[in-house]
Amino acid sequence: MSQQNDLKTILNKLHYSDDAKVVEQISAQTKLVMARMKGIRRKVVVMSGKGGVGKSMTTVNLALAFARMGQRVGLLDVDINGPCVPQMLGMRGKGLLDTPEGAVPPTGPLNIKVASMDFLLQENAPVRWKGPMDLSPVWLGLTEMNVIREFLSDMVWGELDYLLADLPPGAAADKPPLLVGLIPDLAGAVVVTTPSEVASNVVQKSIAYAQELGIEILGVVENMSQYRCPSCGEENPLFEGNTDSMCEALGLPLLGRIPFDRNFARTFDKGEPILDGDNPTAAKYQDIAKKVHTLLDYQHVLDGKV
Amino acid sequence: MKFVCLKCETYMTFEKVEKPAEGSLGVFFECPSCQSRFSMVTNPGETQMVSSLGVQLGGRTEAPKPLEMTRGGLEDNVSAGMGQMAAYLNEKIQSGQPAAAPATPVASAVPASATAPGTSSEGGGCPFSAMVAQMGLGSTGATGTSAPPAGTQLLWTPDAQEKLAKLPSFVQPMVKSSVETFARKSGFTTVTLQVMDDSKNASTEGIKWTPEAQQRLDNIPDFIRPMARREIERLVKERGQSEITAEVMEEAKEKFMKFM
Repeated sequence: MSQQNDLKTILNKLHYSDDAKVVEQISAQTKLVMARMKGIRRKVVVMSGKGGVGKSMTTVNLALAFARMGQRVGLLDVDINGPCVPQMLGMRGKGLLDTPEGAVPPTGPLNIKVASMDFLLQENAPVRWKGPMDLSPVWLGLTEMNVIREFLSDMVWGELDYLLADLPPGAAADKPPLLVGLIPDLAGAVVVTTPSEVASNVVQKSIAYAQELGIEILGVVENMSQYRCPSCGEENPLFEGNTDSMCEALGLPLLGRIPFDRNFARTFDKGEPILDGDNPTAAKYQDIAKKVHTLLDYQHVLDGKV
Repeated sequence: MKFVCLKCETYMTFEKVEKPAEGSLGVFFECPSCQSRFSMVTNPGETQMVSSLGVQLGGRTEAPKPLEMTRGGLEDNVSAGMGQMAAYLNEKIQSGQPAAAPATPVASAVPASATAPGTSSEGGGCPFSAMVAQMGLGSTGATGTSAPPAGTQLLWTPDAQEKLAKLPSFVQPMVKSSVETFARKSGFTTVTLQVMDDSKNASTEGIKWTPEAQQRLDNIPDFIRPMARREIERLVKERGQSEITAEVMEEAKEKFMKFM
């Protein structure tokens, strides 16, 4: 009963117990994510430090390409505030099916399972959270992180060969650490850029940040490399830049170059995606998917031998 | 978070959580030795932080439902989705006014065949027209083909559908949403021309404008009208009323004297 003891002395004598059960619940949440991810062979994130470079387009087309290779594919639209994957895959209006085991994601083209915030919103509705918006800097980041955590933990993916996560733009600040912490055995990241110097500079920073966090960068996709004429099919440069040099400097493979193809893009805008792998642009995505697949197999083989 | 009873040199034990006010939590602790009790009261930001963790203080009595925090944390989609912009577009476009100031001012009604700049549905123009079209809410004339993920599918009569189809394609989704929200709130299962007209005079807050009040609102200059509408609706909502009459407008006049 001596009040002269300082707090440090008092605490040294005490045994901490989590009677509010907060740590217990957070630990349970993490375990649930781990359990959900068990059935998924490879988890790949598609990221870029820059917005508007075509991350969603790349993710969607890689998913289609993997599916054409006979892989079982899931696609997680992590862009909470600007989810567009359902529209690109013609899945607007579909919804998650609640079951006692969790939420079952709807199936889109080529049996790709898709989870997206868009399924919880009404048409054209923005994402608006309850809570004091004047104090939103206090809690908004935490809310978004836990939304992503719920999308990982509460989704009944079943057995998948690939789960692709389409990260939001500017994902350097908070999402990669969260994903590293949440997704066990993250296979790696595909980084999307455009040949512009501005994009390259920003993308390099996000690559460095991801690598610091231990995320394996599988390679770089250069999007909007050229402009493909919708009439004659001829390809001409769209930007001046040098993604080759960036990849060489960073020691990363350039997985492929995708032209800006208006007709191709339009089909995704309309929700009628091109599924045919013979389409010239789809074929380029197919090549990238094969490279990623080989890369991950190669790593797998090495893992077994080392 | 733990509290220490300095007198007894022991951790206080978590007792319970109460909600003393909206956006606030009262978390009660008790010293197991001297039975002293106190309550920590959180401010709205702190309350939201706890909520954002997806946990329940003191533990759960039942397993969380799928996406419980996400779904529970979202504002009501109907009011959030429609918003002022949708209602504004609905009112303006249906009334035959341009949705936004075009490069060349147009005073009359939007022609039936009019399309927004850069939204041409055929190729051959600017190579970035598809991107521009996407910026215009991504609509490519999806008139009446998609339904909100939640809620019932509303029927559109052919003439209502035709009227919607005559609007510029890039505003159709928002106008459609606004009309359907109004229809659902009013209990309509079919969208008719009359429902479309009525929706122009109904706000997203479920507040109705009498024709006379609407006329007075229309007298307010374009650029200030949306703000005036919001303010007047807020005034009425604060009073717990649901209709804006000429009398209400008269009362609000002082506030907007220079515009009315």
